[in-house]
Amino acid sequence: MTRLSGWILGLALGALVMAPAGAQQPRKDMVLNGDAQCTRCHNEGDEYPVLAIAKTKHGTMADARTPSCTSCHGASETHINRPANATERPKPDRTFGKHSKTPMAERSGACLACHQGTKRMDWQLSAHATRDVACSSCHKIHSGFDPVRDKSTQTDTCFSCHKEQRVQVNRPVHHPIVEGKMSCSSCHNVHGGNPKQLVRDSVTETCFTCHMEKRGPFVHNHPPVQEDCAICHQPHGTTIPSLLKARPPFLCQECHSHSSHPSQAGTLPSGRTTTNSLLGSVARGCLNCHTNIHGSNSTQNSATSGRFRR
Amino acid sequence: MKKFAFPLSAMSLALAGTAQAQEVDPAIAELTRPESAVSVGLGYWSKDRPRLGTYDGMNQKGLYGLFDALINTRDDRTGTWFILDARNLGLSTMEMRAEWLRQGNFGVFAEYNRMVRDEPYTVFTAVQGIGTQTQRVPTPSATTIGETHLGTMREAIGAGFSKILGGGYDFRFSVKSEDKTGDRLWGRGGAPEFAAEPIDSNTRQMEGILAYVGKTFQIQGGYYGSWYTNHNSLVDTANINAAGVTSNPFFLSLPLDNQAHQLFVNGGYNLSERTRATFKVAYTHATQDEQIPVGAGVATFAGAPTHLDGQLDTTLLQAGITSRATSNFSWLASLRYYDSNERTPQARIVQPAAGCGTCVDNTPLRFETLTGKLEGTYRMAQGLSALAGVEHARQERDVPFGNVAAGVDAQRYVPWRAKIDETTYRVELRRALAETVNGRIAYSFSQRDGSEFTPTNEIQSDLINPIHIADRDRNKVKLMLDWAVIEPLTLTFNVEYAKDEYGHSDSRPYGLRDGNASVFSLDAAYSISEKWQLSAWYTHDNTKANQFGQRNVNNGAAEAVKEAHLEDTGDTFGAGLRGMILPKLRAGFDLLYSKNVNRYPETITLVGAGGTFPTAGGVTGAPLPDITNTMTRIKLHAAYALQKTSEVRVEYTHEIWKTNDWSWMFADGSTFTYGTTTDGTQVSQAPKQTADWLAVRYIYRFQ
Repeated sequence: MTRLSGWILGLALGALVMAPAGAQQPRKDMVLNGDAQCTRCHNEGDEYPVLAIAKTKHGTMADARTPSCTSCHGASETHINRPANATERPKPDRTFGKHSKTPMAERSGACLACHQGTKRMDWQLSAHATRDVACSSCHKIHSGFDPVRDKSTQTDTCFSCHKEQRVQVNRPVHHPIVEGKMSCSSCHNVHGGNPKQLVRDSVTETCFTCHMEKRGPFVHNHPPVQEDCAICHQPHGTTIPSLLKARPPFLCQECHSHSSHPSQAGTLPSGRTTTNSLLGSVARGCLNCHTNIHGSNSTQNSATSGRFRR
Repeated sequence: MKKFAFPLSAMSLALAGTAQAQEVDPAIAELTRPESAVSVGLGYWSKDRPRLGTYDGMNQKGLYGLFDALINTRDDRTGTWFILDARNLGLSTMEMRAEWLRQGNFGVFAEYNRMVRDEPYTVFTAVQGIGTQTQRVPTPSATTIGETHLGTMREAIGAGFSKILGGGYDFRFSVKSEDKTGDRLWGRGGAPEFAAEPIDSNTRQMEGILAYVGKTFQIQGGYYGSWYTNHNSLVDTANINAAGVTSNPFFLSLPLDNQAHQLFVNGGYNLSERTRATFKVAYTHATQDEQIPVGAGVATFAGAPTHLDGQLDTTLLQAGITSRATSNFSWLASLRYYDSNERTPQARIVQPAAGCGTCVDNTPLRFETLTGKLEGTYRMAQGLSALAGVEHARQERDVPFGNVAAGVDAQRYVPWRAKIDETTYRVELRRALAETVNGRIAYSFSQRDGSEFTPTNEIQSDLINPIHIADRDRNKVKLMLDWAVIEPLTLTFNVEYAKDEYGHSDSRPYGLRDGNASVFSLDAAYSISEKWQLSAWYTHDNTKANQFGQRNVNNGAAEAVKEAHLEDTGDTFGAGLRGMILPKLRAGFDLLYSKNVNRYPETITLVGAGGTFPTAGGVTGAPLPDITNTMTRIKLHAAYALQKTSEVRVEYTHEIWKTNDWSWMFADGSTFTYGTTTDGTQVSQAPKQTADWLAVRYIYRFQ
C-alpha cells in the first residue's frame, strides 16, 4: 500500500465517518456478485487476501458462469454473522488453506461443481484424489498467477511431493523441463484416472505424441517399443545418454542372453577395434551396430535386417 | 501472518454508489485488473556450455538477447481477454502464444514454439554427407577430420478454437504441425562405424472434442488424428577411399510415414451426491503403408512386401465407480481393458537360403491387459485415515511366431510369455487436516508371475528371465511427514524404499536377480522475517541392481558366469533465499548441487579356458570404471524498482559441470576412435565445463 493510496483511503474513510447515518447506502460488491458481505472484512491486506481473484477468469463478471464467494466457500452464515455466544468467529463452511479442516473431497467438490468435465472427468478415480490431494493443494485461486498452470513454474508445485523426480530432472540427461520448455503436464494429466495419469491412454501413446517416428509399425519390430517405452527409458532424467535406465550392455542383457558377442561383459577396449565383443559398452554400446533399435524397415535379404542393423 | 493495511473495503463503502469512481481508482485497479509485463535485456555467457546448454539455446559463449512479454488484457464489459505470451524471443528456443477469448462464449489461439537439442558431444569426423541420405565413411581412416556439431530443432505451429454452444455443450478444436530437422548420433550398422541420422520430418496432430457438462452427467467425445511424414527414407552409406572410389555399400532404413486415427468417448454420471460412475471408450487405428525403399543393387527376398500394410489397432475400455458410502468410508472400483493389437499381415522378409535357417518374418504382436482395482478408505478421528486396496492385472501376449522346429523358435531371441499376472496389495495410513503434523505411511506388495516361457532360437537365449515379464516380488514403503515445527519453520521428510526380487531357477538362472531403490529427502522452509525467506532441501537416492548372466567363449575370452552389481547414487542439495534489502531492492540467491555416482562392478567367474576379456588384434578389454557427474549452479539476482511499474533486474549465474564419463573413451582414458582401418571418427566432451552468466533486464509492468 503506497503512502498516496493510504491518504486516499483515509480521506474516504473520513468522508464515511462524517456522513450522516441516514445517508449510508448498501455496501457495494467489489469483485464478485454478492461479495460485499465478504469484502467488508477481507481484502488484499487481510490474512486471507481475496481481491486478486478479480484478475483471473474466476473474476470475469461478464461471464454468467463466474462464481461468487459462497459458490466455493458455502453460505457460511455463522462466519458472516458471528453467534453471540461464540468465543471466536467460526470458519466459513468450506476453507481451502493448509490448516483447513474441510475434508479434501469436499474442497475438490467445490471446484468440480463446475470443472468436473473434460480432463477432470475421472478425477475421483485418480491417485491424487484417493490420496487426499485437493484442487487447492496445487492451485492458487486468489492470485493473478497460478504457478502450477505455467510450465516454467509448475514443477515447484509438483516437486513438493515428488522428490525423486525433482532430482531426476536435474541429471545430465533429461527432457527440457528445467529449461522451461516442457512441464509435468506435457505428459501427465494429473486430473486423470489412467495408470501413471498420462495425457494419453498409455505410455506409448503419450510418447508418440512427440516421438511419432517410433510408432511404426515397422517391418522389424522391437517388441518393447510397442509395449512400453519405460521398459528401457527413464523419462524424468538419468545420467545415461538417450534417457536409458541402464547402460548397454547391461540394459540389453536384462532381456537378451544370446551366445557369442551379446553375452559379453561390460568392458572398455584398450584401443581401436572393430571386435563387437569389445564394443558393447563404449560409444553407443550395443547400438553401435544395432543402430535402428526402435525398429527397422529394411527388406534386404540379410539375416542382419531383423536385428535392427539396417 | 496478519498484515496490516488500510481496509480497501472501507473505501468501497465510502464510494458506494459511485461505481465509476471505483472502476478508475488505481488502488482498486492494481489489485483487480489483469497484469502485463514486458522484459527486455541482454545476457552474456562467458564460455561454451555444451552439456548444461543442451536445451536452452545458449550452449555457446556469447551475447544473447532477452525479450519476454506477457500482454494480458480483459475488457470487463464483454469479458473478452487478449493474452499474448512471448518467451525467449532473443533465443533459438523462442515461443509465443496469442489467445483471444470471449469468456463464456468462444475463443481462438495460435502458437509458435521452437525447441532445440544441441548435442552435448563434439564430433570430429571425416564422414562425408552428414545431413543427407548419402554418407561416405573414409577408408583408410582419415587423418584430416573436421569438427561437427549435431543437433535437432523442433519448430511447431498450432492453432485452436473453442465455442460454448449453450445448454452445457461446448466444442474444442486444435491443430498442430511440427517440423523436426537436424542430425543425431547414429551408426553404420554393418560395422561399428560412425554415421549421423539425417532428420527432416513433420508431424501433424488434430483434435476435435464435443463435450457436455451437466450437474450430474458429463460426457465428451471426439477425434484425435496424428500423421508422421519423413522426408528421408533410406540412407546410403559406403566406404570411400582417398581417390573417391566407394566400396562396401550399406543401406540404413529410416522410419516411414505413419498415421493414426482415434475416436473416443469419455463420460461420468453422479449416481447420487456420494457416488459417481465413469467410463471411457477409445479406438485407434494406426497404419504404416509407405513404399518400402530398397537401395540400389540390394537383393530382396522374392516374397518380401513392397508395402508393409502395417496396421496397429488400439482399444481402451474403462469403467470405474467411486463412492463416499458414509461420511467415514469411501471406496472405488475400476476395470480397464487395453488392447494393443498389430494386425499387419505376416510376411516373409528375409530368406537367404531355401533351408530357412535364418529366415525373418515381420512380427505383429498383441498385448491385451485387463486391470481390476478395488480400494477403500476409512476416516477416523483426529484426521487419521486408513486405505487398503488390491489391484490385479492380467496381460495376454500373443505369440505370433509359428516356425518352431526341433523344439525352438528360430526367430525368437528372447523368451516370451503368453500370460502375465500381477497382483498388488496396498495399505496406507494418513494423518491430514492437522495443524502441525501431517503425514502418511504407505506399504505395497506386488507379485508377478505368468505362464510358461516359450522357447527361443538357442539354449543360451532361453536361460534368461526378461525383466519386464519375469516373476517378481516388489515391496515398497513410503513415508512422508510434513511438520510445522514452529510458526516460521516447516520441515518435510520423505523416505521411499522399494525392493524387487526376480524369479529364477536352475533351468532359467539369468537376468536381474534383485534390486532396490531408496530416496531420502528433507525440505525446510523458514521465514526469517516478513521480508526474508529461506528454503533448503537435500535428497539422497540410491538404486542397486544385481544382474546375473553367462558369457560365451568369444575372441579369446573364456566361458564365464557374470554377476554385475550396478549402483547409482545421487546426492542433491538445493537452497534459496529471497528477500528485500531495501524498500526498492529485492534480491535472491539459489544454489543447486548435484552429484551422481554410477558404479559398474562385475564379477566374471571363468568356467573354461581363456581370458577374462576378449582380445583381438592386440586390443583387449578392461573393467568399467565408476562414473561421477557433478553439477553446481549458483544464481544471484537483484531487482531494483525504478518506479512502481518498472524495475531493473540483474542476474548472475556460475555453473560448473564435471564428469569422468567413459562413454567415448578407451580404457586408458584416451578418446575413443571408430574403426581400425576405416572411419577414424572421434566423439568427445570437455570433462569440466564452467561458465558464468551475467544479464541485465528492464521490466515494465502495466495493466
